[in-house]
Amino acid sequence: MKRICLHIIFVILLCSASAYAQLDSIQQLPEVMLTDSKLIQFSKGFKLEKLNDSLIDRNASSLTETLRYNTAIYFKENGFGMVSSPSFRGTNATQTAVVWNGININSVFTGQTDFNTISPLNYTEIAIRSGGGGVQYGSGAVGGSIHLNDAYTFKKIDETKVGLHYGSFSTLGGNASTTQTWGDHYLNVGVNFINSENDYDYVEKNQKNKHGQFVRFAAKVNEARKLKRGVATWNSEYTYNDRNFSGSLNTIGIDAYKDITTRNLWQLQQKVGVVNTKGSFAHLFEQYNYFPNSEKSFNTGGKANTFIGAFQSEVLLQKKIRINGKLEYTYVAAEGDNVGDNSRKTLAAVVLINHKLSEKFNYGINFRQEFLNDFDNPFLFSADAKYSFSKQYALRLNGSKNYRVPTFNDLYWYAGGNIDLKPETSYQVELGQEFSIGKLKADVAAYYISSKDLIKWIPGNGGLWQPANISKTRNYGIETVLGYYIKFNNQQSLDLNANYSYTKAEDLEKEKQLIYVPFHKASGTLVYNFQKFSFYVQGLYTGDTYTTTDNSETVDRYTVFNLGAQYTLPFNQNITFGGRFKNVLNVYYENVAYRPMPSQNIQIFLNFNI
Amino acid sequence: MKKIVFFALTIIFFVSCSKDDNNQEEYVPAAFEKGILVTNEGPFNNGSGNITFISEDYSTVTQNVFRNVNGYSLGNIVQSMGFVDNNAYIVVSNSQKIEIVNRYTFQSLDSITTGLDNPRYFVTAGGNKGYVSNWGDPNDYADDYLAVVDLRTNEITSTIPVPFGPERMVVYNNKVYVAHQGAYGQNNLISVISGTTVESTITVGDVPNSMVVSGNSLYVLCGGKPSYTGTETAGSLVKVDLSTGQVSQTYALGTTQHPTSLTIDGVNLFYSLDGKVYKVNTTSITMPGIDIISGNFYTLQAKDGKLYATDAKDFASKGSLIIYELSTNQEIQSFETGIVPGGIYFN
Repeated sequence: MKRICLHIIFVILLCSASAYAQLDSIQQLPEVMLTDSKLIQFSKGFKLEKLNDSLIDRNASSLTETLRYNTAIYFKENGFGMVSSPSFRGTNATQTAVVWNGININSVFTGQTDFNTISPLNYTEIAIRSGGGGVQYGSGAVGGSIHLNDAYTFKKIDETKVGLHYGSFSTLGGNASTTQTWGDHYLNVGVNFINSENDYDYVEKNQKNKHGQFVRFAAKVNEARKLKRGVATWNSEYTYNDRNFSGSLNTIGIDAYKDITTRNLWQLQQKVGVVNTKGSFAHLFEQYNYFPNSEKSFNTGGKANTFIGAFQSEVLLQKKIRINGKLEYTYVAAEGDNVGDNSRKTLAAVVLINHKLSEKFNYGINFRQEFLNDFDNPFLFSADAKYSFSKQYALRLNGSKNYRVPTFNDLYWYAGGNIDLKPETSYQVELGQEFSIGKLKADVAAYYISSKDLIKWIPGNGGLWQPANISKTRNYGIETVLGYYIKFNNQQSLDLNANYSYTKAEDLEKEKQLIYVPFHKASGTLVYNFQKFSFYVQGLYTGDTYTTTDNSETVDRYTVFNLGAQYTLPFNQNITFGGRFKNVLNVYYENVAYRPMPSQNIQIFLNFNI
Repeated sequence: MKKIVFFALTIIFFVSCSKDDNNQEEYVPAAFEKGILVTNEGPFNNGSGNITFISEDYSTVTQNVFRNVNGYSLGNIVQSMGFVDNNAYIVVSNSQKIEIVNRYTFQSLDSITTGLDNPRYFVTAGGNKGYVSNWGDPNDYADDYLAVVDLRTNEITSTIPVPFGPERMVVYNNKVYVAHQGAYGQNNLISVISGTTVESTITVGDVPNSMVVSGNSLYVLCGGKPSYTGTETAGSLVKVDLSTGQVSQTYALGTTQHPTSLTIDGVNLFYSLDGKVYKVNTTSITMPGIDIISGNFYTLQAKDGKLYATDAKDFASKGSLIIYELSTNQEIQSFETGIVPGGIYFN
């Protein structure tokens, strides 16, 4: 029973992965536990996609690239490796929550995550949950949330991986990780880095990206220990980024940016009778320094410490009704050259209920109420349901109210910050259909999001820009995901994954499409496996994207293709090597006006399992 | 199943039709001889500014003048334009350059791409010299300068270190008067440049943001320090006697009043304050004067009985130029411009 249920949940996941490889991980699930187990248990009526390792490896330079090629999310990237902000279902960057092991890690200052500062290789899995997640993940989970998850297990593992890659534009990267279990212990330690001169040609422009050098270093430690009636876990990560910021087609880049983050999460799970309890404590640290001139030491910066203490209890009644209650206290203290010294306290009470009414029908109701907030304490809710008509077809429906609180920059920025801001609010509904016909898996989702009191910086008297709760938007669209797998014989197979999305995101006052939201985006990967060889072709299409609020200027549509091949040594399965040929057709493209992306380039890699 | 096939086809369709290019040829008039020129800064971070031309009889409007004539974009943040004889010197601040064109055809003649560091404005004085105010690093109080351009070679021949935040300049008797608005901070000085040296400095009100010369008087409009500085100061109009180089009179506004965009037509000064345009008669100055027109304007220019005003709207979409008849204070024309119309000039 349980397995069938899991199977239904993962129908969508199958789409983005090789069916056979995926089946393995489903069978492992009872043994491999996510640190954020709520993600799966209380998202049954939501679209949840998981990116497996081979997908991540193909686009591992940054989380931007990983998601750009494998999801419907659009990234506004200021040139390769530079500041990158997402638009998920046509919402803005502050309306996409990035969640690390269940904790919202969007910046205290900007309310968003720069997706180029995150290494996709630092986690057990990356999952994308579409739609409103405010009840579970707090501020900013409007368009959807990106989950960076670590997992643990106590089954026997002794696995060490080392990878190296080298490529065009003097790009060198490496990663090493080891996962060990012994007795009641689980330990996972890893490091990875990427360093690039990033001096690519601007195709057909006779110009070069002269000031886009970057280095990123990430490290992680994940530990779990089985206790008599529970588990204690510790998740920890460190990231360091040092980037020169690229110029554009008509400006010379001179500025630079450095940032450091550390994240630590301690959890203690205990089973008390029928109740599963979990106490957790987390500390997040972020620091940035912006250098207007990379040659000079003058800079402005900020740092923030976030402390989160939470307690939750969960019961499963009659094996059907799962109820989770949680109290979470968050304290944020931030100081910066432009925001002064400020703090924020929030107490949130969350109730999550999931009821498996029958094998076919599953629904959930979730609530969140906040206290102590500086704003009107929002009451958030969501409801979701999933009905499986057959093994081939299932329908899901969800609706939610979500919010986004003003960031410290919005509130306290010198000059302009406005302490009278209130949270943005948004309501949304989604209807999804899941198909599974033989080797063909598909997911078609339609959604509608209505947002108001959106915070926008506008010029006021005397030319001073100030944020205000003024804009209203309406987003709707369709997302489709397709997966197809054919095995010709024991030696050959073909694996196709594709995404297409149509996004209409309207500013209701101007009645125009929001800037940097393309109407059309499609991507796909076709993999051909032959014995120990694997070849793939990957394509990405992004439609015309407006760059001005009156829709008078655009970033042109583009199609980019990448090719790749890899080979695993037949006499030593622990060694794999290969290469990737990116932007094969040497197309000029940009995701932000006048900010060219890389020309044709290659990358070679070597991976060892020890 | 059908649906899936449909979606697969859709993807293929969108991929395959993406190569079409629709470069539209735009109408290029032979010349821009008589009319109004508007410099449009362009979107702040990413993109290009451009120039809008409106013919004197208002019958033709040409957008993107520079690119249409020369085939390439002007650059990022088209800050201002200066003129010498038949030449226009277009200051493109974030692209760190000056494009030199024939002011009537906009054919590119030359460009200055070295020796500029956040250039702001261009004026000419003393025959073959051009002066360009440069912020340097806008956070650095000590690297500001005027670049002196030899107009025969279009090269920067010397630099004159000046106080923080040089901005607009006017020329009187071959001397350059530089208003130090203060870049990303605030300042309160006028530098007087003679040849390649700073002859003197005149202390005026805080944040001198615009100025005009009338007779032998220099009128300097000072915005005052904004409230966010924590030491808010009143805006003011400062009258400098150019024969002595001394401040002859200061007319203060209220502490929370921060005027901008001083312009002059005949004996009347005009400026913008709190969503209104005010008129002040230079023969009997009282501040704030009388308000004649409502509107939040990005810049103002008065000429021959008309007031030309730009609206930058949300700074991320096309703005407009609005023309008012000053005898009636009524709007007579309105034209679409490029993004962030920041300068109004006349051919």
